[in-house]
Amino acid sequence: MMPTNAEYLRFLPEIILTLTGVLIMFLEAVLPSGETKTNIFAPLSIVGLAAALFAAATADPGAAFHDMLIIDPFGTFFRVLVCGIGILAVFSSSEYLRRENMPGGEFYALVLFSVMGQCVMVTANELIMIFIGLEISSIASYILAGYLRDDTRNNESALKYFLLGSFATAFLLYGVAWIYGITASTNLEAVRHAIETPGFDSFALAGVAAALIFVGLGFKISAAPFQVWAPDVYQGAPAPVSAFLSVGPKAAAFAVLIRVFLTAFGPIADRWTPLVWGCALATMCVGNFAAIKQTNIKRMLAYSSIAHAGYILVAVTAHSDTGAAAAMFYLAAYALTNIGAFAVVTYFARKGEKYVAIDDFAGLAQRQPMMAAMMTIFLLSLIGVPLTGGFFGKFYIFKSALDSKLIWLSVLGLLNSAVAAYYYLYILVVMYMKEPGESAENLPPVGFGLKVAVYASAIGTLILGIFPSFVLDYASRTILK
Amino acid sequence: MQQLWLIPLLPLAGFALNGLFGRRFSKTVINAVAVGSVLLAFLWVLKSLSALGAFSGGLEQTHVEHYFTWIQSGALNISVDFAVDRLTAVMLLIVTGIGTLIHIYAVGYMAHEEGYYRFFAYLNLFMFFMLTLVLAQNFLLLFVGWEGVGLCSYLLIGFYFTEKYATDAGNKAFIVNRIGDFGFSLAIFLIGIHFSSLDFGTVFSQAKALPIETSPGWITAIALLLLVGATGKSAQIPLYVWLPDAMAGPTPVSALIHAATMVTAGVYMIARSSSIFLHSPVALNVVAVIGLATAFFAATIGLLQNDIKKVFAYSTVSQLGYMFLGLGTGAFSAGIFHVMTHAFFKALLFLGAGSVIHALSGEQDLRKMGGLAKKIPITCVVLLCASVAIAGVPFTSGYFSKDLILESAYEYAPWMFWVGLFTAGMTAFYVFRAFFMAFTGEYRGHHHPHESPFVMWGPLAILAALSLGGGFINIPKYLEPLFPLAEESKLPPLASYSLLLVGLVGIALAYLMYVAAPKLPESLANAFRPVYTLIYNKYFIDEAYDSAVVNPVIDGSRSLLWRTIDAGAIDGTVNGVGKTARAMGNVLRHFQSGYIRSYAGWVVAGAILVVIVMGLTGVTR
Amino acid sequence: MSTLDVVLFLPLIGFLLMLFTPKENPNISRWTALAISILVFVVSLGLLAPYWFAYPTGYTFQTYKPWINFPPIHYHVGLDGLSLWLVLLSTFLTPIAVAISWKYIDHRVKEYFAFLILLEFGLIGVFVSIDLFLFYVFWEISLVPMYFLIGIWGHDRRIYATVKFFLYTFAGSVLMLGAIIYLYNQTGTFDYAVLHNLVSSGHLQFGAREELLLFLAFFIAFAIKVPLFPLHTWLPDAHVEAPTAGSVMLASVMLKMGTYGLLRVCVPLFPNAAHQSAQWVNALAVTGIVFGALVALVQPNMKKLVAYSSVSHLGFVVLGIFSFTQQGLDGAVYQMLAHGISTGALFVLVGYLYERRHSLEISAYGGVATVAPNLAAVFMITTLASIGLPMLSNFIGEYLVMQGAAQANFNWVIVAATGPILSACYMLWLYQRVFFGKASESVTHHVFDLTGREWAAILPLLALMFWLGSFTQTFMPAITMQNAAILQGTQPSALAASMAQRLAPIEMPTVSSEPRPTGAVSAKVFSPHRIMAIPPPDMQLSGLPRGDR
Repeated sequence: MMPTNAEYLRFLPEIILTLTGVLIMFLEAVLPSGETKTNIFAPLSIVGLAAALFAAATADPGAAFHDMLIIDPFGTFFRVLVCGIGILAVFSSSEYLRRENMPGGEFYALVLFSVMGQCVMVTANELIMIFIGLEISSIASYILAGYLRDDTRNNESALKYFLLGSFATAFLLYGVAWIYGITASTNLEAVRHAIETPGFDSFALAGVAAALIFVGLGFKISAAPFQVWAPDVYQGAPAPVSAFLSVGPKAAAFAVLIRVFLTAFGPIADRWTPLVWGCALATMCVGNFAAIKQTNIKRMLAYSSIAHAGYILVAVTAHSDTGAAAAMFYLAAYALTNIGAFAVVTYFARKGEKYVAIDDFAGLAQRQPMMAAMMTIFLLSLIGVPLTGGFFGKFYIFKSALDSKLIWLSVLGLLNSAVAAYYYLYILVVMYMKEPGESAENLPPVGFGLKVAVYASAIGTLILGIFPSFVLDYASRTILK
Repeated sequence: MQQLWLIPLLPLAGFALNGLFGRRFSKTVINAVAVGSVLLAFLWVLKSLSALGAFSGGLEQTHVEHYFTWIQSGALNISVDFAVDRLTAVMLLIVTGIGTLIHIYAVGYMAHEEGYYRFFAYLNLFMFFMLTLVLAQNFLLLFVGWEGVGLCSYLLIGFYFTEKYATDAGNKAFIVNRIGDFGFSLAIFLIGIHFSSLDFGTVFSQAKALPIETSPGWITAIALLLLVGATGKSAQIPLYVWLPDAMAGPTPVSALIHAATMVTAGVYMIARSSSIFLHSPVALNVVAVIGLATAFFAATIGLLQNDIKKVFAYSTVSQLGYMFLGLGTGAFSAGIFHVMTHAFFKALLFLGAGSVIHALSGEQDLRKMGGLAKKIPITCVVLLCASVAIAGVPFTSGYFSKDLILESAYEYAPWMFWVGLFTAGMTAFYVFRAFFMAFTGEYRGHHHPHESPFVMWGPLAILAALSLGGGFINIPKYLEPLFPLAEESKLPPLASYSLLLVGLVGIALAYLMYVAAPKLPESLANAFRPVYTLIYNKYFIDEAYDSAVVNPVIDGSRSLLWRTIDAGAIDGTVNGVGKTARAMGNVLRHFQSGYIRSYAGWVVAGAILVVIVMGLTGVTR
Repeated sequence: MSTLDVVLFLPLIGFLLMLFTPKENPNISRWTALAISILVFVVSLGLLAPYWFAYPTGYTFQTYKPWINFPPIHYHVGLDGLSLWLVLLSTFLTPIAVAISWKYIDHRVKEYFAFLILLEFGLIGVFVSIDLFLFYVFWEISLVPMYFLIGIWGHDRRIYATVKFFLYTFAGSVLMLGAIIYLYNQTGTFDYAVLHNLVSSGHLQFGAREELLLFLAFFIAFAIKVPLFPLHTWLPDAHVEAPTAGSVMLASVMLKMGTYGLLRVCVPLFPNAAHQSAQWVNALAVTGIVFGALVALVQPNMKKLVAYSSVSHLGFVVLGIFSFTQQGLDGAVYQMLAHGISTGALFVLVGYLYERRHSLEISAYGGVATVAPNLAAVFMITTLASIGLPMLSNFIGEYLVMQGAAQANFNWVIVAATGPILSACYMLWLYQRVFFGKASESVTHHVFDLTGREWAAILPLLALMFWLGSFTQTFMPAITMQNAAILQGTQPSALAASMAQRLAPIEMPTVSSEPRPTGAVSAKVFSPHRIMAIPPPDMQLSGLPRGDR
C-alpha cells in the first residue's frame, strides 16, 4: 500500500533538506559567479535548515514507511538537535570559506546532505535504514573533511576518515547481516521480540552481532579503541568542519547506539553493559590523558571530544531511561559548547589556519576581551563548572550512573573530569595570564556569521546551565521501548 | 561595690593616652599622665581597702565584684570578676606602692632617653596587667594578667630595639614564659574538666572538700602543671634562664618587673591555689626542692658575676627560690612576707644600682667602679641599707622573712634548713662583694661620677626606710585567715644562733676578700680553677639549652620537616601526580603513529576484543 | 525577597555593573567596587536583626523557591548562628580588600575589581545555601574568580600556584558532587535541612561502610580547603603568589569554607562516621598544628610564613570540631572568625610592606620600626592577636577549643598546647627580623609610615581584634545555640535514642521547635512526599517554614 500523507509529513525535514541541497547545487551550476552568488548560499541553507528544524519540531509522532522510520520524542529531539547543529555550523563556516577563497555552494549542500543523513539515522527504526542514513551522512562528511582540495592536511584527513570510516561501517553491515540471520528481521522491535521470545537460544551469536554493530557505531562516536582516527581527522580538517564532525555525526551515532542497544539489544544488556563499562572508562582516560600533552588546539579539542564521548558512554552503561535522558542532554550541551569553542578557534586561526597552537592564544583576553570571555564560558562548560550546560550534563550523567549503582565508574569518571580541568585551564592561563605575542596582533574584527555562532552557542550553554529543566524535562519524557 | 575596676583601669587609661598621643605630648604631660595614673591607682587601693576595713582587722572574707560575663559556652561560664582578700590586699599595696615610687624614679632616670613616652606607656600597661593579675577572681582572668605582664616585660626588655642583644633577650623572656604557660594552660584545662568552673570561689571550695592525695593523682597533676607555669614566670629551675638576660631592659624595669612585682606572680599564684597544693604533698615537696635548688644554684652563680645588675639578677632568682621553699614547706604566709620584703630591698638594690650606672653614665662593670662612696654618698647609704636587708642582718626586713622560711624548712626537713642557711651566707657574701667593689677602694673607671637628682634618690630613701623597718609589718599574722599559722616552732639553739650570725659572717668574708686582702680572690680562683670556670660561665646552661633544644628544633624544622617532608615528600607526591598524568599522555600520544594501516590494525584488534567479550560474557539463558 | 537574598545578589549585580565600567578610567572601577562592597556590608548588617536580642536556632531569612524541577533542586537559602558571622565576615572584608588593592593593582584594574566582587558573591552563597546542590554550585563559583585573581595579578610563579589551587580544590569537590548525588538517590532531596532532619530523627540511616565513604567524600573536599595536613601544600604557593587582597580573602574567608563544611555537613549528616574518624582526624589536626608552626618557623618568605601559620591555626579549628564538645565547637567557630580577622590583617600588613620595599623576603627588611613606628605598632598588635594573647581575638578560640578537646581526649591537647609556644617563636622572630635592629639604607629609603587609606583599611580589623578578644558575648550566644543544636543531634547517645524511638510516632525535633522570629521567613511550602524515607506527613522539617503543612 502507498504511504499516507501523514507519513510524508513525518519525513518532511529530510525532504526539505534534500531539496535545499539540490537547489543550492543547481544554483551553483547556473548562476554567474560573483558576489551575489557567493552570498546567497549561506542564507539559503540556513533557511532550509531552519525550515527542517521547524518541521522536525512540529512533526506528529508515529511510524512511517512500514515502520522503517519512527517519529518519537527521542527521534524528534535529535532531529532538532542535528538541524540546530547544522545551522550553527553554517554560521561559523561562511566567514571561513570566504577567507580561504572557497565560497562554493557545494560546501553548504554537503552540510545539508550530512544533516539529512543524520536525521534519517536518528529516526530510523530499522537497521538497514540506519545503515543508509549513516552512509549518507558519512560520505558527505568525508568530502567536507577534505573540502580545501589544495590543502594537503585536508586531503590526508579526508583520506583517513574515508578509509577507516568505510572499514568500520563494514563491521556494522556485517553485524546487521548476522542479526538478520539470527532473528530473520532487521526491525528493532522485531529483533528485540525475537530475542525475548522463550526458546531463543543463540544469545552468544546475538552478542557477537551486537558487538559488530558496536564496532561500527563506536567508530563514529570515537570510542576507544576505535578513536585513533579522530585526532588526525579533526586536526587536518577545516576548523568549522571539525566542529561539525565533532558534534553532528557523533550526536546521530549516539542516538542510534542508544536506540539500538536499549531497544533491540535490551534483553542482552548483561552482555554489553560490561563491555560499554570498559569502553567508557578507556575512552575517558585515553581522551583526557592524551589531551594533556597536546600543543595544537584543534588536536586538543579532538582528544577532549573523545573524552566527552566517554562520559556519554557512562550514561549508556547506566542502561536506563534517566541514562538516555542524561546522554541526550549532554549531547545538546556539548554540541553548543564545542561548536562555540571551534568557532572561536576558527576566528583566531585566520587565513590558512596559521594560529592553531595553544600558545598562540596568549593575551587574547586583552586584544579581544569578548571572544576570550566567550571562550572562557565554553571552556568552563567543558570542565563542568556550575551554571554551564557542561556541568549539568555531567551532573545528570553521573546521577544516572549512580542510580544504576555504577559507583566506581562514576568515581573514576568524576576524577577524570578533574584531570580534564588541567588542560582546559591551560588555555585560560594562556588567554588571560600571558602577555600578548605577535599572534595576537592585528586581529580582524569578528564577522557576522561567527558572531552569531559564538554568541548563540554561549547563550545556549548558559541557558542550559542555569535553566536546564526545559531541555531535560523533554528528554526525560522520551521513553524508549 | 568598691569599683575595684578603677584600680587597673587608671593605668590603662594612662597607657592609652601616652600610647596614642605621647609622641605629641611634652615630657611634663607624659610624666603627669604616667605617674599620675599610677599614683591615683595607689590612692584608690588605699581608699577601697580602708573602706573594706583591710587596715582595721576586717576583710577576713573575700570581697567579690562581678562586672560582666566574658565567655559563656555550654556549662562553662567565665566572667570578669575582681576580688579582694587579705592576700590580694598585700599584693595590691606592694604593686601600686612600689610601682608609684619606681615611676617617679624613672622620670629622672629616663630623662635623656629616646622613646620616653613609649617607655611610660609600656610601664603603665604593665601596671594594668599586674593589677588584673592580682585582682582576678578566676584562673582565665588571672591568665590574662599573667600573659599581659609577660608581654610588657617583653616590650620593656626590648626597649632599646635597635640593639640585637636586647630584642634577643625580649624574645627569650617571652618564649620561656610561654613554655611555662604551656603548663599553666594545661592546668587550667584540667581544672575546667574536674571542677567544671574556673572561678576561684567554686574551685577552691570544692578542692577543700577533696581528700588529700597521698599517691599522685589528677590534683597532683594540676598542682605540678601550675608549678610549671610558676617556674616560668618566677624564674625557677629549669626556666630561670630568661631573667639574667632580662637585665638588658632599662634599670627601672629591672626593679619593677624583674625584681619587685612580676617575677613574684608565680609565688602569688601558688599561694592563691594553696588549697589545691595542700591536697598534694608530692607537689608541695617538688615546690620546696625546686625552690631550694634554685636558691642555692643561683647564689653560687651570683658569687662571680662582675656586672652589677647581673649580680642582683641572680640574687633575685635565688631569693625567689627562698619564696618557693617557703611555699613548698607549707609556710605560704612566710613566702608572701618574703615577697614583700624582697620587693623593698631588691627594688632598692636595682634602683641604687641604676643610680650608680646613671652616675657613671652607663657603666655596669664592677671592676670599673670602686671608691664611689665619697663621690655618690646618698646612693652609697641607701645601697648599704638594701644590702644589710638582703644579707639578713638581724632585725632588718630580710631577716624576718627569711627567718620564717628557714624555720618552716627546718620543720619540713632539717637538711633543707642547712642548705638554705649556707645559701643565706652566700647571699650576704655576694651582695657585699658587689657593694665593696663598687664603693670602697680606689675608683678604677674614667667617668666623672655625679650624684643623682632628688627625683631619683627621693624614692630610694623611702625604700631604704622600708627595707630596714619593713620586717616589723607582721604579714603572716595578717594573712592568718587565709594561711593558718603553724604553732610557734622551736629551732634547736645551734640552728637559731647560726641563723642570727650567718649574714654577718658572709659580710665579714666579703670584707676580708675585697677590702682587707684583695689578692685573696685571685689565689682562690687559681686554686679551684675548674670549679671557678664552671661557675663563672653559669654552668654553661644557656649553651646547653641552645645545643640541646633551640638549634635542633630550628635545623630539624628546616632540613627535615620543611625541605624533606613538606617540600619533598608531600608536595613531591602532589606534583608527582601531575607528572604521571603528563607521562601517561605522552605514552598515549605515541599510539598516534599517523599511518592508516596501524589505525586499521587498532580497529581490527578492538573489534576482535569486543566480539570476544560480548560473545563470552553474560549468562546464557 | 528577604534581606539575605539582597545581600547575596547585590554582589552579582555589582559584578555585572562592573563589566560596563569604562576600561580607560580605572578610578571609576575602583570607586564602583568600593561603593558596591560597602553597600553590601551595610545591608548585611541588617542580618543581625533577629540575632540581636533573641537567638533563634532554626533558619532565618529563608527563601525557598524551586529552581530545577527534575531533579528537585531548590533555591533554598537561609541563615543560622553558624553562617551569620561568616557571611558578615565576607561582607566586612570585601571593602577592605578593595581598599588595599587601590594602588597595588595598576593594570587590568576593571577586571580585577570585577572578579573581587564576583568572589564575594560566591563566598556568601556558600555560607547561605541550604540546598546541597546550590552549596556545590557556589562552592565551584567561588573557585573561578580566585583562580583569575591569583593567575593574572599574582607574582612570578602565579600560574603554577593558581593551577595547583584550582585543580587541588576541584579534584576534591568532584568527589563531594558524587556524594551529593548519591545522597539524593538515597533520599530524593538535596535539601540539607531535610536531610539533617532525616538523619537526626533516625529516618535516614546508612550502612557503616556507606556512611564512612560518604563522610570521606565530603571530608576530603573540605579538608583540602581547610587545608588539613597533609593536604595543605597548595596553600603556601597560592598565598605567596596571590595579590594582597587575594591572600586576604583566601585566608580569611575561603579557608573557612572548608571548616564550615566540616561543621555543617560532615558532622551532622554522618555523625557515626565522624565519631569513628575523630581519632585520626584529630591526629592530623594536631600534627598540622605542630608541623605548620615548625615549618613556619624557618620560612624566609613572610607570606609563606603566615600561610604555614594558617595551617597551624586551622588545625585548632578541626581539633575543636572533632572534639564533639560544646566548648570545642564554639571555640572552632570563634577561631574561624578570629583567624579571619587576625590573619587577614597580617596579610594586609605584609602587603603594605611589599608595596614599599617590593620584597617578601624577611632578609630584605630590618629596623622598620625606626622609620615607620605606626606600621610597627599595628603589626605588633596583629602579631599579638595572632599568637593568642588574651584580650585579643585568637585567644578565646584557642582556649575554648583546647578546653573542649581536653574533655574529649587530653593527650591531643598536650600536643596542641605547644602551638602557642611555637607561634610565639615564629611570629616574634619574624617581628624582630623585620622591625627591630638598625634600619638598612634600602629600608630607610623605601619604607614610609602608614598613609590615610592604609589606616582606613587596617583600623576596622584592629578594632575587631580587641572586640573579639574582650567582648566575646557579642558573638558567642548565636554560635553556642547553633552548636548546641548540632551536638544534640550528633551525640551517639542522642542517636541511639532517636533510633530507638524511630518507630514510635515522631514528635517535632527540638531543633525546629524554637519559635522563628516573625517576618524572617519568606518561603514556599515544602512537600515532604518526595522523601523516600517517608517521614510521617506531620513531621516538621527543621528550618523549613511551618506555613501550611
